[in-house]
Amino acid sequence: MNYAPIDWADERLGIAKFTRKSLNKIFPDHWSFMLGEIAMYSFFILLGTGVFLTLFFVPSSADTVYHGSYAPLNGHVVSQAYASTLDLSFNVRAGLVMRQMHHWAANVFVAAIVVHLLRVFFTGAFRKPREINWLVGSLLLMMAILEGFLGYSLPDDLISGTGIRIAYSITLSVPVVGSYLASFLFGGQFPGNSIIPRFYTIHILLIPALMAGLLGAHLAIMWHQKHTQYKGKGRTENNVVGIAMWPAYALQAGGFFFLTAAVLAALGGLVQINPIWMYGQYIPYKVSYAVQPDWYMGWLDGALRLFPSWEITGFGHMIPTIFFPAVLLPGVTFGLLMAWPWIERHFTKDYEVHNLLDNPRDNAWRTSIGVGVMAFYMVLFFASSTDVLANAFSLSLNFVLWAFRVLIFVIPPVAAYVAYKLAQEARSASTAGKPRKAMVVFRSSEGEYSTEESDPRHELELKRIALHGDAPMPLPEEAKLHGDAEDGAPLKKGEDFAFIRSSAAAVIAEEIGERPSHGSGVYQVPRGTPGAGGGLFSPHGLKVPKERKGSEEEK
Amino acid sequence: MKIHKKLGRHLLVPVALGIGASVSGVALFSHGAGASTTSGSASSGSTNSVTYGGTAGSGNAPITYLKLDPSTIGLGKTLFVENCSSCHGDTAEGTSRAPNLQGLGAATIDFWVSTGRMPLADPTIQATSKPARFSRQQTLAIDAYVSSLAQGGPAIPIVNLGAASISAGEGLFSTNCAACHTITGVGDALADSIYAPSLYPATPTQIAEAIRTGPGNMPRFGTGNFSDQQVADITKYVQYLQHPNNAGGIGLGHVGPVTEGFVGILIGLGSLMIAGYWIGGRAH
Ligand code: HEC
Ligand code: HEC
Ligand code: HEM
Repeated sequence: MNYAPIDWADERLGIAKFTRKSLNKIFPDHWSFMLGEIAMYSFFILLGTGVFLTLFFVPSSADTVYHGSYAPLNGHVVSQAYASTLDLSFNVRAGLVMRQMHHWAANVFVAAIVVHLLRVFFTGAFRKPREINWLVGSLLLMMAILEGFLGYSLPDDLISGTGIRIAYSITLSVPVVGSYLASFLFGGQFPGNSIIPRFYTIHILLIPALMAGLLGAHLAIMWHQKHTQYKGKGRTENNVVGIAMWPAYALQAGGFFFLTAAVLAALGGLVQINPIWMYGQYIPYKVSYAVQPDWYMGWLDGALRLFPSWEITGFGHMIPTIFFPAVLLPGVTFGLLMAWPWIERHFTKDYEVHNLLDNPRDNAWRTSIGVGVMAFYMVLFFASSTDVLANAFSLSLNFVLWAFRVLIFVIPPVAAYVAYKLAQEARSASTAGKPRKAMVVFRSSEGEYSTEESDPRHELELKRIALHGDAPMPLPEEAKLHGDAEDGAPLKKGEDFAFIRSSAAAVIAEEIGERPSHGSGVYQVPRGTPGAGGGLFSPHGLKVPKERKGSEEEK
Repeated sequence: MKIHKKLGRHLLVPVALGIGASVSGVALFSHGAGASTTSGSASSGSTNSVTYGGTAGSGNAPITYLKLDPSTIGLGKTLFVENCSSCHGDTAEGTSRAPNLQGLGAATIDFWVSTGRMPLADPTIQATSKPARFSRQQTLAIDAYVSSLAQGGPAIPIVNLGAASISAGEGLFSTNCAACHTITGVGDALADSIYAPSLYPATPTQIAEAIRTGPGNMPRFGTGNFSDQQVADITKYVQYLQHPNNAGGIGLGHVGPVTEGFVGILIGLGSLMIAGYWIGGRAH
């Protein structure tokens, strides 16, 4: 291989040191740490497919007479936005698969964010020093939901138009400023001609740019603080145990990107989503029964359905009913979400730095609160399909509605209680936290069965363990030399990339079982403590942690 | 093959890549094909000569009305007395249990009997369509008998789908029917145990009968609301909804984003989480 281009770049930009460090970066490896990756890769797919859509989509409410391929709408006066989405679906080559991939990616994107958030919550990964990333993540979630709603609205079809109509009413319902807000946003009265182009600008420029920036910050902070890890052999608050960026992590992550792309392409190509041609153009006096928003808005729709039509007055004015479920609820939801690290600290008085994660069963209180809150939003989510449920199970719509009004109060506490008990139970079980041994079942010639414990690990791994013990290895000498400029060893020109070169060989070496070497092994490196280097104005460095009261069970 | 376990998972990545690429290939291909079929149907335009099953009338009138055969009245009477009179009375004059049917017209009788709503089993709940009890001949005989008892009401319509416009039908359907039956025609639950049924099983004659007679809680759209041409147009669009252009792959029941959300979360995210569990680390 020719390293001249790399050396060329290094002589001008000095990339070698940073690259070396990065390639040797150690990442804790656990499947639950890949949930955020699903979200990130879906975002990339959204960007790619979204750019494709912009090439053909016309963000305009101007009328046009449709004469495209879809016969049932032939001759109808439709908006250019709707006509161009029809063309994307039927006349642009690969247009429909791109639209569908884009939409499926949006659904998976938000779902992955939510599951990622739950992982972070239940394992306590948001505790000091990671509160900033919790905030950044919450912002990303809010933007993703908003972005999805805006995108869903762009085609100007009957169903999404109804959604915009609801959004308009919700904006109107804000006390004092509602009517101003709504008329600023819509450029006058609903529907007007401005909303599609405005949504478009926000959808393809403003929010994606903000999200890309925030995602960058999210990752940079994670990189800088180093990822948390689960408790386990050789893992402490002060080290990082995991696999090296190159080649193990890079291959794993790269492969996972392609897997995500594959799943989204499969859904986009094989499963229909949002067949807007069946919905027709949005016209304010038309409405279809049974319209719901995309799933991530479902909890808001559910809240709107469940909230009783009370006429609530405050300060001598009637506050529109929908203000409570549609403005106050999301406000409180995201407010509490962002405040959670501080709310929890208020009760636990835990001011310490945590790099080791909690097992959800070890913190029964947090787990049960999380489960209860999750149950609350799940009930709201299911309440967004009261009509579909009533129809599918031949129940009275009124009965289903009232059932949900009761369930919303019953299910969350019950779920929280069950979660609390289960967590306690799991912790007291004798096998808790111990990896299960695989059992091999034998059948004798007489037909008798017996079981024998077996070690599921690969024979090469067992060989390595026999030689070196099963504690994670420190980074090997060679890598250290090249990976850590601080040790001062002067590097000869051309040697900078020795590590990159040798690592491919290392993988093969390990494959043959010659020696366990860097590359795809498990390593440990020390981790620094932010703030330990001394304060900007105080020489003492870290503030003396305040006395911790209560919550002894956590330790 | 001696491959380190972890590494084995990494090496399987190219396989995944291959699957991804091939699946998207399939997708691209199938949409290419999908687009050309639709443009094919577009070339035949709105006067599409394809008929969507059912009885298509002849000539240019959008709707012709069936002349019932008076010689079947006797058979109709027998069937009525056996199956209906216990509730509706011997001459369909109505009882405390069921309404008067005299003068409702053949279309009304035909709709209720041919959709299997009548005879009714349980008078306390909304009559729903079920497999019809009688053959077409028997049904027409009952229609002939009941409509011979008194004048009035619409006759049984036969829709000439060839003379109907599917795109005019779309406009009328989305304005007049979607609010109850949903825009895709799957139907849904209205208030208090009342359902707007799915329009997928209805035949052209039943659709036109429903529009003209307004069964149960459905409004009646008389000649002042829709011309015969418009009824035929709507009927043609409803027939289309029964076999719509399902470009884009497996349709998800046309109930909207609810099923899409479940598929996205359970199949989309679910399979990716399994994949993550497969290539990622486990408990230490
Ligand atoms: C078990 C009692 C019962 C039997 C048997 C029965 N019906 Fe009915 N029928 C009813 C009731 C009750 C209604 C009103 C239902 C409603 O409006 O949903 C009704 C409604 C009707 C209607 C619609 C009337 C309107 O105002 O639109 C027609 C037509 C009809 N029945 C015809 C028949 C025929 C024909 C038969 C025999 C094949 C029959 N029914 C058998 C109870 C019965
Ligand atoms: C106010 C709500 C409403 C509107 C608007 C409405 N329908 Fe209905 N429709 C109903 C209900 C309710 C029933 C079931 C009647 C019963 O069985 O008691 C029904 C039944 C039907 C059926 C019979 C389906 C079967 O079970 O075989 C057809 C066909 C139908 N409607 C077509 C239409 C068409 C076409 C339009 C528009 C012109 C329309 N409906 C408008 C409520 C409505
Ligand atoms: C830079 C990023 C993005 C670009 C350039 C982009 C572009 C577009 C365009 C042009 C459309 C309209 C065409 C159509 O609807 O088919 C659209 C629709 C949509 N977008 Fe995006 N988008 C981006 C990111 C996102 C994100 C992050 C989400 C969700 C969280 C999202 C969700 C949607 C949805 C749900 C639709 C409706 C798709 C449909 O018609 O079924 N988009 N997008």
